Formats: sequence, structure tokens, C-alpha cells
Amino acid sequence: MPLTREDVSALAHLARIGLSDEELARAEKELEGVLGYVDRLQKVNTTGVEEAAPPAVAAASFREDAVIACDEVGRQTILSNFPARQDDLLKVPAIFEAPKR
Amino acid sequence: MKHLNELTITEARELLDSGDVSSVALTEACLGQIQSLDGALHAFLEVWLDEALEEAKRSDERRARGLRQGEFDGIPIAVKDNMLVQGRRCSAGSKILENYVGVNDATVIAKLKAQGAVFLGRTNMDEFAMGSSTENSAYGPTKHPRDPERVPGGSSGGSAVAVAANMCLAALGSDTGGSIRQPASLCGVVGFKPTYGRVSRSGLIAMASSLDQIGPLTKCVDDTARLFEAIQGKDPLDQTTADVEPFRSQDIRLSGRQDLKGVRVGLPRQAWGEGMTDDVRTRVTAAVGVLKSLGAEIVDVDLPYADEALAVYYVLMPCEVSANLARFDGMRYGLRDSGGTLLETYLRSRASGFGREVRRRVLLGTYALSHGYYDAYYRQAKRVQTLIQNAYAAAFEHVDTLVSPTSPSTAFRIGEKADDPLAMYLEDIFTVGVNVSGLPAVSVPVGDAAGFPVGMHLTGRAFDEATLLRVARAYEVAVGIKQVNK
Repeated sequence: MPLTREDVSALAHLARIGLSDEELARAEKELEGVLGYVDRLQKVNTTGVEEAAPPAVAAASFREDAVIACDEVGRQTILSNFPARQDDLLKVPAIFEAPKR
Repeated sequence: MKHLNELTITEARELLDSGDVSSVALTEACLGQIQSLDGALHAFLEVWLDEALEEAKRSDERRARGLRQGEFDGIPIAVKDNMLVQGRRCSAGSKILENYVGVNDATVIAKLKAQGAVFLGRTNMDEFAMGSSTENSAYGPTKHPRDPERVPGGSSGGSAVAVAANMCLAALGSDTGGSIRQPASLCGVVGFKPTYGRVSRSGLIAMASSLDQIGPLTKCVDDTARLFEAIQGKDPLDQTTADVEPFRSQDIRLSGRQDLKGVRVGLPRQAWGEGMTDDVRTRVTAAVGVLKSLGAEIVDVDLPYADEALAVYYVLMPCEVSANLARFDGMRYGLRDSGGTLLETYLRSRASGFGREVRRRVLLGTYALSHGYYDAYYRQAKRVQTLIQNAYAAAFEHVDTLVSPTSPSTAFRIGEKADDPLAMYLEDIFTVGVNVSGLPAVSVPVGDAAGFPVGMHLTGRAFDEATLLRVARAYEVAVGIKQVNK
């Protein structure tokens, strides 16, 4: 399944990684190499084989669906990790275009 | 007489308990070694000098009053930079988390704190644990302790070097495809990946959640057993942790048996083919001879589909990476590189925050999970994973442990594989099978080839780490531990 430059560009967009043309060209070459290797799996006969279940222990138990409060130090750390803030609020870029007046 | 920083946990524990050595002295010795060597080796991203000395002082005061907190009270250890320690920076070797501060303790950290451990600092790693050389760190490569021109392996390269160069008594690493065992092998220390489900990953920055596991890097097998015992256990914060009989390190220490009579050691044909250097083959074959001389029965076994494990890994892992790393979008934490629009901000933040290998794996996973390719890649890989798991299960009906080299070669030169992702990925060819099958495995040093350490890789049955580590320990006792430290 050969990859085109357009494919790689679409993948980068889906993954929200802004790549230059040069980086796209390099990614195309590197992805082809890895895909060429993993394509060996297509030759394995898996007729009648189930997909691997999650490790046997997974989902064996559930904890109570209760709020675990964080302490004040934890709260301040969360706030200090905000890339941009106004008082205790997280500042993010506008999601919609500016409304027309 | 060893310097204090050269001690094993086991030796230090005795000296601390007898009062012959203080935790402050141990910690100062480690910090001194870091100061002397880390300019050249770059094993640490950050050293918590004042905090470590304070923790050591508190440990000494505690024990002077007869209040020893646990087996790790006063023991200085190092932590890979992807495990959260409350109030300390944790970057996963990435620019995108350069200034991120841990909000809470990872469960493994909380367990060690409760036992009184002293934390020396955070160790360098390939970005988000993606790599086999520690060259992918956004903060520059870690160097091999015997030759600064060579890599220490990875991704837990900083932890492996910190242990090998006696900058700490032991360290924690994480292992998704070989990231504890391969650097342990290249640096000549013991590296252990427990069974999937043994150790909580709460507070570990996730790479591929169905494969990730935390484990020890230490100077000897006894220390591995002690550290593993301290961090294991079911955790409500990690639903994949298993409710099983706990591992007890004293079962190994006090077994009294050094021979391996009745133990069956399997050599998988698929692992002993062409893909290793002659030096590595010679060394590991000699180590198998030691196991035989201890009474183990050596048998060839068939491990069908084992040679597909790396391909399965390079489908499943990127898929999980692309999902797990979607959270790094520059909004709530981490680097934000603002553009004109929200979309532009995403594109810029993730482009400038992620390094090449991380981007590559995110793209690969995005591709394998995309419409039209999901069946061919992800579902097929999950089916082959079943075949591999079945093959291991069948092999363990006949043998108690499977043995191969840990890595196909010894430490390679910095830059040698940097532009050839596939060559780098092949570093994990012997280690990745146990991640795909969820089993425990340990790498133990088996001497040098042309001046660089070689590791033997032993795989065990799920949740039977005791048998696995007993075999590893018997080998180590038979040959003497001296080669580990020097």
C-alpha cells in the first residue's frame, strides 16, 4: 500500500502536526520503510484466529466511581501548569471565528 | 572496600541498619559521583540535591529513633523522567513538557516514599520512551559510561548509566518494547520487566498502555527482587493491575538452593538464528553453559511467530501512541505555540513540541487506525498477537524459562542508527516478544565482548517472577557479581 505525499500531508493534518514540505518528504520516506517491514504481517494466515483480548487482568475490577479530591498544593500545581491563565482560569484560543457585528 | 555509592541495596541496607553508615553519607557519595561524571555522561536531566539531602537527613533521624519506615528507608535511587513526583518537573524527555510539574506522585513513587526512599533526581530518556539509544531525548543524548562516543541503549538510558556508573544504588525505568532490558544489557546492569499487571502505571506518562510496564535497573538480581517487591501491587488507580499473590524477594534470597536441578531452559530456535553478532552469540552461549553446569536441562524449543513480534509491535504501539499523545495539544498544560487560530495553535504546538521519532510514530499510528487500513493493520496485528501469545504458552508447557541474547549487538556509536529507524527498531528484536505477550523478563550481564557488556535475556511465565529471578540469581552467584560493577 504505497503512500503518497498527499496521504502523509493528510495524516499530519489529522494528527494536528504542522510539517514543512521538507519534513513531509522525509516522513514519507521513513513511513514507507516501516510500513514495508510491518507488511510481513499480511502473509501470516490468521483465518479463524481471534484478536488478542486485553491482558487477562484488565477490567477485572472496578473502583467506586467517586471523586478523589486533590489537595491545595495539587490544585496550585495544576494552575501553574496552565500555558496561559487569567487568575484561576485557563485561557484558550477562540474556537469560533469572531462574530459578525 | 567499596565506595558507598558502589554498594548494592542489599549491602547498604545492612550498613544502615547496623548504624555503620548514614543515609546522608550514602546520598552524598551518590551526589558526588553525579557531580564528577554527569557532565560527561548526561544521565540526569535534573538532580534534586537539596531535597535528596533533606530526605536522607530525615531518614537518619527517623532510624536513630528506631522508626525505620521500610526496606528502602535511606536508600538513594534515581527515577526515569516519565514518572511523576509531586512538585517536581517531569518532561518525559520532551520539549512539549519542558516546564510541566507533577501534580501527584506516581504510585511507584508513593510506595517508595512510604518506605523512606531518597530520590536523587530524574534520568534522561528517549522522548516519551520512544527509542533504543537515548539519542531521541530533546535534551541531548546520554553517553555510554565506558565510551562517550557510544550510546547506552534506551529508552531508559539515563537510569541504566546512573546505575552502571554508581551514581545511585538503583533506578526505576519503564519498558514498552525493551526500554529497561536493552539499556541494562548495553550498560552491564540487571534490568527487569515484570509481568504486565504487576506494577501500577498510575503517574507514568503513557506511551502504549497495553504494553507499558515499570521495573527496576539494579547492580544485582537481589536488588531487582527487592525493588520489584517494593513497587508491585494492585492499585485502584490502574485498572490493569492484577489481584495476585504478591512476589516476595526473600523467597529468592532464602531459597538456599543455588543449583538449577529440575529447571528446564528453552532456547527458541527463532531467536538463535542469524540476527546477532558472533561476540554476543559466544558470550550468551557460554552463559547458557553456566546454567547447564548448575544442573539445568537445556532444550531447543520452537517459538512459532516469534519473529513477527517486532512487526506486531510496530503496528500496535504507534496506534496507542497516536491516541495517548493526542492529549498534548497545548491547551491545559505543556508547551503552547500560539498561532492565529485554534487549529494553527495545535499544529504549531505539536510540531515544535514533538521530536522526529515521536512525530513519526504518531503519523504511523494515525495511518494504521484510519478508515480502510484498520482491518489490514490493527486487527491483523491483534490476531498475530494471539498467535504469539499462544506460542509462548505452548513453550512454557515444556520449559521454565526461555533464553536468548537481550540485544543483537553491544553498545553502538552515537549517530550510527539515527537516520535509519528500522535499524534502530531491530535493537528490540529479542525483547519485544514479552511485551507483546505480557510476560516477565530480565536481562543479566554475562561479561564483555571487546570491552562492552553483553546481556542474557531470560523470559518467565506470567506472574512467576520468582522462578525467573531464581534462575537469574543462580547464574549471578555462580559467576560472581564483580563483573557488574567494573
